[in-house]
Amino acid sequence: MSSLGFGLISAAVLAIATVGFTMQFAVTNVLNLAYGSIMINSAFVSYYVNQHGVTAWVALVGGVLTGAIASWLLNRFVYTPFQRRNLAPITVVIVSLGIDLMGTFGLQAIVGGGFVSFTQNQGSEYHFAGLLLSSLQLIIIGICAAVLVGVHGLLKYTRLGKAMRATSANRSLARNSGIKTNYIISTTWLISGALCGLAGTVFAMNAGVFEATSAQLYIVLLLAAMFLGGPGEPYGAMFGAITIGVATEVSAAYINPDYKDVIAFVVLIAMLMFRPFGIFGSEKTN
Amino acid sequence: MSSYGYYIAIILVYASVDAMACMGLNLEFGVAGISNFGYIIFQSAGAYAAAILSMPNAASSNGGFQKYVLGWHLPWPFPWIGAAIAGGLLALPFVFIVGKRLRGDFAAVGLLVSAVLLNVLVKNYVPFLNGDAGISLVPAPFQSHFNPQSLSYQFAYGAVAIILTIGVYFLVQRVTESPYGRSLRAMRDNDIVADSLGKDLRKQRTSILILGGMIAGLSGAILVEFITLWAPGAWGYAETIVLFAAIIIGGAGNHKGAILGAILVPVGFEEITRYLPPLGNPELVPALEWVSIGLLIVLFLWFRPDGILPERRRILSGNKNAPPPAPSAADDESDALIKIGDLQKLNFRELLRLGEPVNDHRVILSTNALTKTFNTVTVVSDVTIAIHQGKLTGMIGPNGAGKSTTLAMLAGTLPSTSGQIFYEGKDITSMSSDKRALAGIVRTFQLASEFKKLTVLENLVCAIPNQSGDTFFGSLRGKRYWGAEDRDNIERAKEVLEGFGLSQYADAYAGGLSGGQRRLVEIMRALLAEPKVLLLDEPMAGVHPNLAHKIGDQLTKLCEGGMTIVMVEHELSIMDAFCDPVIVLAEGRVLAQGTMSELRQKEEVVEAYLVG
Repeated sequence: MSSLGFGLISAAVLAIATVGFTMQFAVTNVLNLAYGSIMINSAFVSYYVNQHGVTAWVALVGGVLTGAIASWLLNRFVYTPFQRRNLAPITVVIVSLGIDLMGTFGLQAIVGGGFVSFTQNQGSEYHFAGLLLSSLQLIIIGICAAVLVGVHGLLKYTRLGKAMRATSANRSLARNSGIKTNYIISTTWLISGALCGLAGTVFAMNAGVFEATSAQLYIVLLLAAMFLGGPGEPYGAMFGAITIGVATEVSAAYINPDYKDVIAFVVLIAMLMFRPFGIFGSEKTN
Repeated sequence: MSSYGYYIAIILVYASVDAMACMGLNLEFGVAGISNFGYIIFQSAGAYAAAILSMPNAASSNGGFQKYVLGWHLPWPFPWIGAAIAGGLLALPFVFIVGKRLRGDFAAVGLLVSAVLLNVLVKNYVPFLNGDAGISLVPAPFQSHFNPQSLSYQFAYGAVAIILTIGVYFLVQRVTESPYGRSLRAMRDNDIVADSLGKDLRKQRTSILILGGMIAGLSGAILVEFITLWAPGAWGYAETIVLFAAIIIGGAGNHKGAILGAILVPVGFEEITRYLPPLGNPELVPALEWVSIGLLIVLFLWFRPDGILPERRRILSGNKNAPPPAPSAADDESDALIKIGDLQKLNFRELLRLGEPVNDHRVILSTNALTKTFNTVTVVSDVTIAIHQGKLTGMIGPNGAGKSTTLAMLAGTLPSTSGQIFYEGKDITSMSSDKRALAGIVRTFQLASEFKKLTVLENLVCAIPNQSGDTFFGSLRGKRYWGAEDRDNIERAKEVLEGFGLSQYADAYAGGLSGGQRRLVEIMRALLAEPKVLLLDEPMAGVHPNLAHKIGDQLTKLCEGGMTIVMVEHELSIMDAFCDPVIVLAEGRVLAQGTMSELRQKEEVVEAYLVG
């Protein structure tokens, strides 16, 4: 049963990360493989704020801002200029891999190779419907749930959210209908970047100890969750993340934990082979 | 002195291994456009295969301190051959990922993730290949006869590696410069269009993934028997990015560029860091190495996307001394400058091998209740039409009427949701688009669809069906096998080009032409695909009206000669002049059909389209 508890937390963190990742794909059609490196950079910013005597929960804001600003800059000054050149989509993906190396190992060059951890209290433990959770873990789940509800509200009930959905469905049609798509894309990268920074920081908190390369393989889980729910679909991302997050942790209880990510891999490959538009999605007209 | 010698020998081996691997990847990525982000696992498969084929049984050797499968203790060269086979076999499961309906970047992440997870599996499952510790004490070839540590042995090893690398260079060059290589590059530039011209994408990608995998596997074997150990740490997924960096910097699509990139990036980086004084923390130098590789990729893709040695432009016209024509202005004004060549004089029937005119106006292509639904939106609904042989059938309708979708379903570019399509009496509903193209149904596209990095002449020649050099094994047989036929094909394409007045652009990249010129290239290319039924999607858009009418005349002549043409067009004067009958579509349904003058009498047609 405790594995289900771990699963819930991983799923919650993965859900925030995947929603941000899939929103970026939705509005700009970029598979941003540098996402993991921005997550871990954000986590380190939070960590340094935390080291200066600020509580981890306040330091979290530093991570969120880092993620938002770094993602916005990345889109504005790297991806957008490359996309304007009308290159094959794969070029931008290769660029994102290059950025990922720069982000991850640039960080490692600065902070070195050692593991670090946040200064914070794990809090007391709670037994909750048969699950054993620390208050830290409960807070993480709470934050994630609140953020997901917030994203839902944004997409469903605000003009900005509707404009985002319109832009992701058909950018030129959205522009012709009077939506300022460039502004919407920028805003989407700020918001999704904030989600990325948040996910990175809570990922690091939940992991306990972390280093510059800790999030390097997180992209596997992100991709699996995104493709399970359908690329570019925020709700699909939530579903995919929760499924993948719980499935990997629960399977870890039954098989060798070293292989727990294999299930994500199998899901991803199966989706790519049979339903690359997601389990609920269908072919797009364009 | 002798330490210098060892150093040189080591560099020779490393450079050969990296150059070989880069050429294999360049064939996949630079030539065929397969972004194999998991390429390193193919090299690794070869390395492991060579190791376990040359090592003695695991239980009996060295007190069984390491675990691995096989252990056949084979003499050289069998472990190296086995390595190449292992690399080729590993390609097979990935054929399902690089299948033709998947976006290139999705396939690429599929391969990337496969590489990551394969590494995790090998690392953690010890009995297979000794897990994280890896395999060590891999025997060098002939080590019982010679001393592998001697300088002469190491130089001999380097020499063999170089000879094999040169062999691989000639092999990849032979494939790349053949008609088959032309089809691969066409697939790289636009896979959907290549498919519509009869290229079997899955087959092409499979052969190249296998050949690339075999080359990678051999490079792994050469490496492992030289360094005598191999472990998961040596083939993390990021190693593939290093090889990509090498190709991008050297020049994708150019095998000499791949060799140059191999020397600059993997070898160069390794050697430079050897001479750096230790600075800062121990991770600093390797970390900065990765940062530089990332930075180089981004900078090169921005400032010099074609690399140091760009892909060579192939001059097929034989006019080697003529300077390349200045790429014409992108605006369509320049179409007015197109000299309308001897279009009238051109004998298409002979040129396109149409055979004797048969013109019995029988139904050649028909549909029954053809329907296409995207998500919940029905774009084409219940369309039942019959196309008669030897007729130039027009298709009109307002935007969104489903004209292009219908055309795409006829050609097989889009699968239909329901309904049937019949061609010459046979149900072809489930036939793939490349097979339909070879059977004689060829289409053009509404959006620009030229192969950008192929010259105009290459664009035309690559469409000609049944070229003997346009198969994998045909390309391996060399120019002596396909050369004469290819010269013939080039001559045919040149005549067509002359007829359309575009001779001066024969050796220019098609991507540099104006919009109208590109339309013409597309029409010529479709004609050279030797269609029985030609499906044209707005072929005259952007073409100078004078020329449009001359092309129309030629299309009419082709129909008289037995070709069947379906043309979607907005220009009513073209419809009036050339098309009979005309089918009117509106909101996904057939609204009416008949001659233009009949249609003008029908109120609902006039309302739906002709006026508005």
